[in-house]
Amino acid sequence: MSTASENYIPGHAAAAPQAGAVKLTMILSGAVFALMMVFGLIMRAAQGQWIELDAALFYQLLTAHGAGMVGTAALSGAAIMWYFGGRHLVLTGGIFWAFLGLFLLGVVLILGAIFIGGYGGAWTFLFPLPALSGGAWEAGAAAAFMLGYTAIGVGFLLYYLELGRRIHTRYGSLARALGWNLILGREDNDPPPPAIVAAAAVTIFNSIGIILGAAVLAASLVHLLVPGFEVDALLAKNLIYFFGHVFINASIYMAVTAVYEILPEYTGKPWKSNRLFAIAWNAVLIFVMAVYWHHLLQDVVMPPWMLVVGQLVSYFSGIPLIAVTAFSTFLYVRGSNMTWDLASALLVLSVAGWSVGSIPASIDGMISVNKVMHNTMWVPGHFHTYLLLGEVAMAFGFMAWLVRGKTIARMNGLDRAGFAVYLAGAAGFVTVFLFSGAASIPRRWAVHYEEWLTHDRIGTLFSVLVVLGTLIFVLRFVARLGRSEG
Amino acid sequence: MRMICLGLLAMAEAVALREAAAASPVQHVLVQMPLLVLAGVLLGWNLRVRRDWAVPLLLTALTAFLFWMLPRSVDWALTPAGEAAKNLSLPLLLGVPLRLSWPWLGPVLRGFLKANALSMLGVLGFLYTHAPVRICNSYLVSAQQELGFAFLYLAAALACLWAIPVLFGHPKCGSFGTAGCSRCGV
Repeated sequence: MSTASENYIPGHAAAAPQAGAVKLTMILSGAVFALMMVFGLIMRAAQGQWIELDAALFYQLLTAHGAGMVGTAALSGAAIMWYFGGRHLVLTGGIFWAFLGLFLLGVVLILGAIFIGGYGGAWTFLFPLPALSGGAWEAGAAAAFMLGYTAIGVGFLLYYLELGRRIHTRYGSLARALGWNLILGREDNDPPPPAIVAAAAVTIFNSIGIILGAAVLAASLVHLLVPGFEVDALLAKNLIYFFGHVFINASIYMAVTAVYEILPEYTGKPWKSNRLFAIAWNAVLIFVMAVYWHHLLQDVVMPPWMLVVGQLVSYFSGIPLIAVTAFSTFLYVRGSNMTWDLASALLVLSVAGWSVGSIPASIDGMISVNKVMHNTMWVPGHFHTYLLLGEVAMAFGFMAWLVRGKTIARMNGLDRAGFAVYLAGAAGFVTVFLFSGAASIPRRWAVHYEEWLTHDRIGTLFSVLVVLGTLIFVLRFVARLGRSEG
Repeated sequence: MRMICLGLLAMAEAVALREAAAASPVQHVLVQMPLLVLAGVLLGWNLRVRRDWAVPLLLTALTAFLFWMLPRSVDWALTPAGEAAKNLSLPLLLGVPLRLSWPWLGPVLRGFLKANALSMLGVLGFLYTHAPVRICNSYLVSAQQELGFAFLYLAAALACLWAIPVLFGHPKCGSFGTAGCSRCGV
């Protein structure tokens, strides 16, 4: 057992900026994560024919699960980055509340569109599917779904505007906050800490994504209201996948600030920005915006050079992550004699899971593989690895740290059980997805053939473990809310 | 006085573009109309209002802006009555209120308005390039598509114009200095 103060880093951890708002956000995130996982469990059980589920309801659950998980990953990531950004910047609490209010308004609209309006066009709202329901839902339901996205987008835009202007005020320019002085070898007696470098990069690329996303959302809304207005389907797909890919990536890049800020408390070694770190994050800034083309490898009408860039950047985009965050985490943890509690265990797991998740992503990013694999379970296998073992684990690690108290104690029996159940469930769950993909089982099918049921049923059993682990983490967080963070 | 003269000059320039506006929607929507707004901004340059007027003035400006964004309004602006309404309302109901309210708007709201302008220019680009019909009866479909692309080019130009100072700092601040920038409020 040790105390946080033994490893205390000057200038860090002194403030608990807007901890109440952040804790509330994490309660909401934890509850929605659990609910969305239950939706996922229901869908896997229905595919395995253990329960009967109407196909229309399956696609509604699929839509809610996709939109809910992406939205909640982003919400929890935003809360984490706001919290740690607040250690280095003076952030306006009112903006965070406005962000949260708009987010919840968006959630109400989306849930209403799905479960009252019957919208089941998946979270990607791919043009022109929302307008071509075949009678499954009215245009109003699709419009409500998109207005929900718009409300969430406006909330995030306010969030990034506040963050961006505070970074600009503190560091004079976003370039300096991105570590350009470190890259160019210029003297900088106040270099940006890792959390600020990450915050500056995410602010830039996700703001661009949101602005382009708002444009395609508004154009799709016009198309819903006046069907004669056709949007160019390929352009719309490019914009939607740019927005969607950047947005979900941003959720992980926001949440990773928890790793940079919390792990040093355990290892006793401060995590500082250096030249390599700054180069990696600047590379991330470019790669995350150029890699979305790997979603369009089956669109043969795309210019070939874009598809080639999509494949190459898919390879390269893993390098900054693995070279810097994963390798640095390994070095920080190695030989540090750190005390393993739930928070540190989940945060280290999250970096490992994030790194491992990049491997199936890179494989699917190969044009020759993508032709065969892209519409199979391989793809959910890849992004569930990123999320369950990456972003969500970061969020749960942050939640465990928020209620840890001043003392770092080894994991007790319940913590160990929760961690083991979650790890076993998530690892097994994503492995089944990947095996199913390798066996060419298609994704997004409500009804499965007899030959696929074994995969679905094993996946269902693992998803029960994931839900159990999640419930333990969330209930533990709520029960310990009175304690202060480390 | 100098600003008033410049405002009147912009106004005169806009009125002089009357025939060019009738010939091309790009010159109408992206040259003449912005000149009229600029005239209003310059005319109101030295005026000051109380803080509690900021929101009503901003709403007035946004309402006028929304009205003149409609393709139907662009058509109407080529008729004698519409032209008079355009020449009066764009400076007085958009340019002047925008100028008067702007100093009172917080940086987040200003950023939001700019980001929204970029998104809406993208949407207009979508609409004008893909509309299956002539949106404005006064212009050809080919001219309408030119306007759509012009909206997209303008969005890209404004994005660069607004993003570069934020990314690289104000030129007066030096290159990524460590002492921060008094101009930027550090």
